[in-house]
Amino acid sequence: MAEKLKLQGLGKTFEGAGTRLPVLLPFDLSIPEGEFLTLVGPSGCGKSTLFNIVAGLLSPDPGGLIVIDGRPVVSTLGRVAYMPQRDLLFPWRSVLDNSILGLEVQGVSRSEARARAHDVLRQFGLEGFEDYYPFALSGGMKQRVALLRTFLFESDIMLLDEPFGALDALTRSMLQEWLAGVCERYRRTILFITHDVEEAIFLGDRVVVMTPRPGRLKLEVKVPLERPRSADIVTSADFVALKRQILAAIWEESQRSSETGKGAAP
Amino acid sequence: MRPARRRVPARLLALQAGTVLALLALGEFGARLVLPAAILPAPSTIGVHIVHRRDILLEAAAYTMSNAVQGYVAALAVGVALGMLFAHSVTLQRGLFPFFVASQAVPVIAFSAIVILWLGNGPLAKVAIAFYLSFFPITVSAVKGLQSTDPMSVALLRTFGAGAWQVLWKLRLRVMLPFLFVSLRVATTTALIGAIVGEWFGDNNGIGIVILQALQTEDTVRLWSGIVACAVMGAAFYGAVAAVERRLLWWPAPTLEG
Repeated sequence: MAEKLKLQGLGKTFEGAGTRLPVLLPFDLSIPEGEFLTLVGPSGCGKSTLFNIVAGLLSPDPGGLIVIDGRPVVSTLGRVAYMPQRDLLFPWRSVLDNSILGLEVQGVSRSEARARAHDVLRQFGLEGFEDYYPFALSGGMKQRVALLRTFLFESDIMLLDEPFGALDALTRSMLQEWLAGVCERYRRTILFITHDVEEAIFLGDRVVVMTPRPGRLKLEVKVPLERPRSADIVTSADFVALKRQILAAIWEESQRSSETGKGAAP
Repeated sequence: MRPARRRVPARLLALQAGTVLALLALGEFGARLVLPAAILPAPSTIGVHIVHRRDILLEAAAYTMSNAVQGYVAALAVGVALGMLFAHSVTLQRGLFPFFVASQAVPVIAFSAIVILWLGNGPLAKVAIAFYLSFFPITVSAVKGLQSTDPMSVALLRTFGAGAWQVLWKLRLRVMLPFLFVSLRVATTTALIGAIVGEWFGDNNGIGIVILQALQTEDTVRLWSGIVACAVMGAAFYGAVAAVERRLLWWPAPTLEG
């Protein structure tokens, strides 16, 4: 498949008064069109910094380049659909009007945007809730609205930053299965951050493991599991083997960083 | 679906009505049995007087109220515009804010005399004084409100490609509203004070004049009719703004988890 997004020599160092804090070491990553790529790593590994750069909110260190459809991009603002960890729904907007926020900013008329949202409400499990306001929704429902808002925004690259991180385990696994189904249906190029290894394998076509700060790419593995995947796939031998491989990489890395952190500890 | 409007329970209404009746009865009793009429006329006497002179009182009240409302609307427009300017530029805020604070430290009385000299005896001077007393608190709360926007929400809009104006229109102004209404409620009182005090420095119409004339002739009943008119105007103005606030700000206040 054609290459959709390429990150080239992308790194980030925060500089304050006399201090330099390297958060992300320069790395390359290529994402083909339609791929679901999951990024796992411990907190503080620069995942969110990476997303802020790809979303256009932060600029990378000089030399870093973002290439979309083969062309280097100066600013990705308005070009990728970004979903932060928190739902950030506007309390004065109904479910329907929250979901069309991105389209509105893009200049689509309200009636047209609402019509488009109506067409997919059912797939997002929000049918009948279009006139509800956020205060009346459960956490899982709010995340669905936020996902719908991200989906409706016209862009073929989606950045999802731990969208299910704040949910209870049961709701999370239900939403994972649902998201996998939705992605099957509307093939989009997706970057998905999580610190949950099972989630990363279950959803991803490919998993990338990142190291603790300064972040860099430690391991890239393809997920050889057939789609559609059902929830019980997590007990299959392939899944478990993959999980073991990824966890080993993470452990190895955390071992190393705690050793260097403690200095001369025995 | 918006939250259902809560009704005021009958018990509360009864309590409030009871309090009003008790106060009136107390006044009536005190005026007739304890205090001389020159100090406290009986509420019934004042009531009869008001009904008698309702046309004059209404006309005076309408004049004063119109000046107060015009000053208030101007204060709202200028206050929000200045708020946007200050919220937009820290340099402007730090450079100019001290002058506004200093201007507010000048007592209104000293200022009113000059305004009458400049703008004459007509309504314009009262509108200006009402404006002067109200616009600064509105500016302060507008700045505070505009700066209270969640940076993550701003970031979200920016990733959608929104520019500064879209962020302002779709987000900041909405977030500002609850802050703004705190000062808008207080400003109903200050605008009314400005309009009334302005009349004392030169006019021949308005509730301020009714009060002034009553004072000069030591007509306590008439004085009280002016006070009652002021109270009704103030309460109505405040109530109207509070009603608009309830209509616009119907969503529950955000909680810490967002």
